[in-house]
Amino acid sequence: MKRSVWLLLILALVVVYPLLFTTPFLQRLGALVLLYAIAASAWNIVGGYAGQVSVGHVVFFGCGAYASMAFFTHFGWPPIAAVPVGMMASVGIAALIGVPTLRLSGHYFSMATIAVAELARLIVTNVEALGAAVGLSGPVMPRSVFDLSFTSALPYYYLFLVVLLAVLGLTYWMENSRIGFYLRAIKDNERAARSLGVQAGRYKLYAYMMSAGLTSIAGTLYATMYGFIDPDSGLGILTSVKILIMAALGGAGLLFGPLVGAAILVPLEEISNNLLGGKGAGLTFVVYGAIIMIIARFYPSGLLKLVLDRLASAKPALSEQKVRDVA
Amino acid sequence: MLLEAIDVTKTFGALTVVNSVSVSLGKGDILGLIGPNGAGKSTFFNCLTGDLMPTSGRVILNGEDVSLMTPEQRAVRGLARSFQVPQTFETMSVLENVMIGAFLRTFDPAKARRRALDVLDLVGLVDVSSSVAGSLGTPGRKRLEIARALATDPEILLLDEAMAGLTATEVRQAIELVRKIHQTGMTLVIVEHIMEVIISLAQQVIVFHQGHQIARGTPQEVTRDPAVVTAYLGKRAAADAARGFAGDQT
Ligand SMILES: Nc1ncnc2c1ncn2[C@@H]1O[C@H](COP(=O)(O)OP(=O)(O)OP(=O)(O)O)[C@@H](O)[C@H]1O
Ligand SMILES: [Mg+2]
Repeated sequence: MKRSVWLLLILALVVVYPLLFTTPFLQRLGALVLLYAIAASAWNIVGGYAGQVSVGHVVFFGCGAYASMAFFTHFGWPPIAAVPVGMMASVGIAALIGVPTLRLSGHYFSMATIAVAELARLIVTNVEALGAAVGLSGPVMPRSVFDLSFTSALPYYYLFLVVLLAVLGLTYWMENSRIGFYLRAIKDNERAARSLGVQAGRYKLYAYMMSAGLTSIAGTLYATMYGFIDPDSGLGILTSVKILIMAALGGAGLLFGPLVGAAILVPLEEISNNLLGGKGAGLTFVVYGAIIMIIARFYPSGLLKLVLDRLASAKPALSEQKVRDVA
Repeated sequence: MLLEAIDVTKTFGALTVVNSVSVSLGKGDILGLIGPNGAGKSTFFNCLTGDLMPTSGRVILNGEDVSLMTPEQRAVRGLARSFQVPQTFETMSVLENVMIGAFLRTFDPAKARRRALDVLDLVGLVDVSSSVAGSLGTPGRKRLEIARALATDPEILLLDEAMAGLTATEVRQAIELVRKIHQTGMTLVIVEHIMEVIISLAQQVIVFHQGHQIARGTPQEVTRDPAVVTAYLGKRAAADAARGFAGDQT
């Protein structure tokens, strides 16, 4: 009851935000928060719910981004039309990485994800058809509305919002169905889950493929908005780290955790980039490193969890005595 | 036969931990496994459940050779277990823990929830169903593991020291619970150090010593067996007395 009122209020604020803050900088900032929230929410499905930490998610982001720019360059498709191509490629790559590594302990999976992402970056840097080191561009002038090429960030803001709501809707459905329960069980105790008939390897793979497909949509949207992609922006390890940190900072395994993380990190990064004038790339790594250490040390379950726990503990805890009586 | 093990052997490197052990259980049987610490009971148990693959020998479940099957494949075929060291889903609620078991037979969360509540009622944990499993003590966790296993609607339930660490009263309650479960037609394998449990529940007992089966028979027969007394019960009687269990081995 109370929760749905809060959610509606926040949703209303998100909807009117770009109408209240009309400067191009703030509208673009809002759109970017939503874009990264899409990617981080997609990561959350495998990294948060299933507890399998992918450190190479940019490879799926890159699939989506490169699919849109490559199909525009070679076949003249509107960038957004390549969404299914990017998704299929991502799901395929996820299967290739996941099948051999998800049955092993989590570290092998994490390492494999980094390795494949870096390998993809190296390959793309050397493939002429994908723009090699220079990158690929989208339409210079919009040919029709389907090119989704706008000067204002406002249309992107609402497009991203719709996609984000769809991703969160899907996550919510998953959270409350058998696969969501199974993923949490696997994350908590894989051996026990398997003893209850949970096909752990298969469910982790499903989560990974679903996460990969959705991440690629974020990549396509990114390329559509910027009209340009190169190996650094589309396949750089920094983007993988960014996606992971947003989810972990906000709260991995919580529906709105990644959104909270994106709403904190994206403005921080944009403001510091503005102040430092683009010379901040090295510093970004340092800042991310520091954030990782702070999360690991003080808020392992994320800021949103911290706030929710505070709210919950404000209410009288009746059940604790009961627990002691029975146990 | 519901469950059969044929010449199951398990070695770790040069160490033979289970040496050619065979058992066979019909529907509704209760088999007890006893023996001193390190005798190989849990290792044998884990070969039955699929957590370990036997080095040689076969495991037959309902006529099907499951020797090479994973634990999840055996669970689907009606085998359920508890763990010697409780392995509950710590961050999930008691109800959700049991729902994971119930989901084996349904996709529908509402049905899984109803099934889980029924089982929690049976094991007496329904009052704490919304508590986090991590907040339970050892006895609560052991009960929860039984509930979770039962929720998978198994044909055979394997319990590895489900009553260790319980007080004498709690042990008696737990025996009552196992009896209740048995009355539903369940087949059980019970690993226990507490002789009271074995004597009141098991129809057939296998005594392990250093990986070998040194005796087999009814609880009365094995407790009178001189080899068992030397290898195991002599020490147990002293230990039980020290812990306050009257020696029931009459
Ligand atoms: N993975 C393993 N690698 C090597 N040795 C092992 C392994 N697992 C068990 N063992 C050894 O096998 C022997 C039997 O262990 P097991 O756990 O089966 O005994 P147990 O009869 O269940 O004892 P307890 O009553 O203490 O539970 C022990 O000596 C143990 O150290
Ligand atoms: Mg043992």
